[in-house]
This record gives sequence, C-alpha cells and structure tokens, in this order.
Amino acid sequence: MRYLRLMGLFLKSSLLVELEYRVNFLAQGFLGVLYAGVSIASILLFFSQSNRLGGWTLDEALIIVGLFTIFDGLMECIVLPNIKRLVENIRNGAFDFTLLKPINSQFLSTLRYARLHGLTDMAVGAVVIITAVGRIGYRPNLADLFGFGLTFGMACLIIYSIQLAMATTAFWFVKVDNFTEAFRAVYDTARFPVSAFRGGLRIALTFVAPIAFMTTVPAQAVLGRLDAGLVLGSLGFGLGLFAASAALWRYAIRSYSSASS
Amino acid sequence: MISLARKYVAFGKAAWSNMLEYRAQILLWMTGSLLMIVMLMVWLGIAADQATVGGFSAVDFTLYYMLGLVVRNMTAVWASWELDTQIREGTLSPQLLRPINPIHNHIAANWVEKIIRLAVTVPIAAFVIALTPGAKIDLSLGALAAVAAALLGAWAVAFFVDYLIGLTAFWTTQTSAFIMGFYGLRIVLSGTAAPMQLFPAEFQAALTALPFRYMLSFPLEIALNKLSPEQILSGLLIQWAWVAAFVFAVAIVWRLAIRSYSAVGA
Repeated sequence: MRYLRLMGLFLKSSLLVELEYRVNFLAQGFLGVLYAGVSIASILLFFSQSNRLGGWTLDEALIIVGLFTIFDGLMECIVLPNIKRLVENIRNGAFDFTLLKPINSQFLSTLRYARLHGLTDMAVGAVVIITAVGRIGYRPNLADLFGFGLTFGMACLIIYSIQLAMATTAFWFVKVDNFTEAFRAVYDTARFPVSAFRGGLRIALTFVAPIAFMTTVPAQAVLGRLDAGLVLGSLGFGLGLFAASAALWRYAIRSYSSASS
Repeated sequence: MISLARKYVAFGKAAWSNMLEYRAQILLWMTGSLLMIVMLMVWLGIAADQATVGGFSAVDFTLYYMLGLVVRNMTAVWASWELDTQIREGTLSPQLLRPINPIHNHIAANWVEKIIRLAVTVPIAAFVIALTPGAKIDLSLGALAAVAAALLGAWAVAFFVDYLIGLTAFWTTQTSAFIMGFYGLRIVLSGTAAPMQLFPAEFQAALTALPFRYMLSFPLEIALNKLSPEQILSGLLIQWAWVAAFVFAVAIVWRLAIRSYSAVGA
C-alpha cells in the first residue's frame, strides 16, 4: 500500500519534470511515432514479397509489431532512465543516499523516474494491436484475454529483470550503459515472429535470450493459440529471471563500498 | 595542401590513441550492425519457400547483406553526437581558436575509426560469403571503379548530412531527436530493411531521387550486377550532386552559426 502511494508520488514528480521540457516531450513523442512507422514499413516490405512470415499473416504479424512498440515505450519510459541514474549514482557515490532511505533499495532504484514521452509509443502500439485484431476474423474470448494478460505481465517482468541484471553489474564495472545498447540490438529481433528465424537462431531466441516470450507468445495468446507449454515457459522465464536478478541485486548491495570520499 | 595533410596525420594520431583507450566501446557501437544480420535471416526464411523473391535469390540476399554490413560500417558517422555535446557544453570554443576548421578533426577521426570497424566486419563478410555455395562477386574493371566511386560518395553523403544535422545544435537543444529521426528513416529508405528493388514500383522514382539510397544501397546494387551502365552513370551523377549540395549547405550553415555563436558555460 505504502509502495503504491510512493509510486503515485514518483509519477507526479516525473510529470512535473516532463512539463518543464515540453518541446523535448513533443520531439520524443514524434520520434516514437516515427519508429513505430519504421517497424510497420519493414513488416510491409516483407509482405509485399510473401503472404506469410514464419507462418504468420500480415495482420497477425502486426500484433507483434504493436507489442514491440509498447515494450519499446516501456523501456524508454521506466527502465532506461532509472538505469542511467543508477549507474551514475554508483559511480559518483550518490547511491549511499538510496541505501539510507527506509524503502526497498531495488524498488527505489528501478522505479523512481519515469519519462512519460514513452507513453506515445505505448499508445501507438495499442492502436496497432487493436486495429490488427479488428481486421482478423478471430474474436479473443475471456480465456484468451486472461492468457494475454498473464504472458504480457511476464514479458514486462522478463524485460525488467534482464535490464536490472545488466545495471547491477555497474557495482563491479564502471561503464555499463553500453550493455543496454547491446540488449537493444538483440531486442530488435522481437519485431518479427520468432518463427521467421530458422534453426539455431530460433532456438537461441526462445531459450537463451527469451525474445519469443516478449512479443511472439503474448500475440499467440490474443489469437487463441496458447498452450500449456507456452504458459509454463512464460511463467518460468518471468518469475525465474525476476528471482535471479533480485538475488544478484541483494548480493551486489552487500558488496557495495561507496565510491565517494 | 601538404600542411593540411600533416594536420590530418596529427588529428588521426590523436584519434587513434583515443580510440585504443575506448576500444570496447567501439565494438559495442557496432552492435547496431546486427540489424543487417537480423534482416538477412528473415529474408533467408522467406527465400527458403520461394526460388527467388523479387529477383533476389538466397545467395543474392547473403551477398547483399554481408557486403552491406561492410558498407554500413564504412558509412557510420557519429560526428553529430559530438558536435551536439561540444556546442551545448561549450567545449567547442577552444577548437574555434585554432587556425583550422574543426570539421577536419571530425573527418580524420571518422577515417581512423573505420580501421577498427573494417578489421571486424570485412573478415566476417568474407568468411560468410566464402562459405555460401554459389556466392561470388564477378565485376568488370569499369564496374569495380564505379563501386569505388559509389563507396566514397556513400561516405560523403552520410558524413555531410550527419554533420549538417549536428550543426542544428547551434540553434536547438533537440538535435539528438533529429539524429534519431534521420537514423530511423535511413533504416527503411537506404536499403537496410529491404533491398531497393523489392520496394513497390510506385516508390522507385522517389527512392532514386532521395539521398538515402546513396548512403548504402547504391554501391551494393552495382556490386551485385543489378544495374545497367546507364543506371550506374545516372546514379553516380545524382549521388555526387547530393554530396555537392550537402557540402555547400554545411559550409553556409557553419558560417551563419559561428557568427551568432555565443559560447555556453565558458
């Protein structure tokens, strides 16, 4: 309860900051729309040459593009700004003040800041998904929507955990902002159904870097193509990675010896 | 001329030692190139079901994207990011006191960085092409010369557009948004998402006229024997016209900029 109230406060202060920089907000929002357009255009190029992409039709693949755009916005909105601050704070010693506050340090370090222009990406992504589902004959039933909610939540957890784990390495290495860059490059594959890739790469994107569980599986849920194995995989990766990254965080905190003074 | 060459050597040496300091970072910047490999994989998946996709066989796609990987790294420019920081934070001021335009420093540093980028990407491309049965590059001497001219042109278009965008930092704080926006357009319009030939016919005229094609796709099209001699010639003309236009624009904007520049911070 207390943490929910804090979340509200964090959001409010972030909104106030954002309103200070309105031009920036507009420019970034416009960029979000542009990049959604880039994703859609590249999908359309594939479908101008073939009517299936890894067994998916255009409208089905657009659901994946929508999810890709939403997660893009989510990272832009919450994950990246917090990680940037965290890495900076660890480097200059300001992380001491985070530890001194009577709140869970992981909660404070990863959810404190929000850059709200990421909301435009999320809105564009949602519009793309709703349009695509509208064009497909299949109407998702209640169970599908529940499956979507579950796998979508797990996808958020997977992204959060991977980024948290990368940020945690800042306790040992100085320059880690670049890890997020490397993650970005792998995440780029999430704009296509994982079945568009063949052989070893598809297996790697499912089991090593769980890209499949970020966009392909929630899209399958909307289309009523979820099975028990996928749900278990989604739960396993989501909860497992979260537990692992939280454990790494606690271990890192214990070995933290301030940088300042 | 000789004194300018000596200055380039000095700038290059400084950039080289700076780069050795941050070599891991350059490798990470190169992860952006992975997009070429991702696109290749998806196209190969589509080409597996059909014999050719819009005139491109699986071998063509491999050649296109592997050579593309090299060209993309040859035309990678990040001068705009540096200009943006230097102008916003005021570190440009000491450079303005020197009796040489700072653009020469950016060009020298950019060429030096190519050494590392090419040392990584050329062996990867050569290895993949050698392992692909039926993949070979068969070019006449004239076509080879055209490829060389188109490559240099591709670098020049990419560099001067980027520099022009960087110069906007004299007037606005949103330069990074311009850079990212241009980069997004470049993914689609320069031939990263798909080779130009696979775009619908109604876009071809616009793609030929816009500068994007000349930053990546054009030299690849020549190398893959997809263009007639007339198309190569008219392409080179358009490409170098863009180069001239952007060089001219950079020169004009630079003059306007330093006239109105009042350093930040100091």
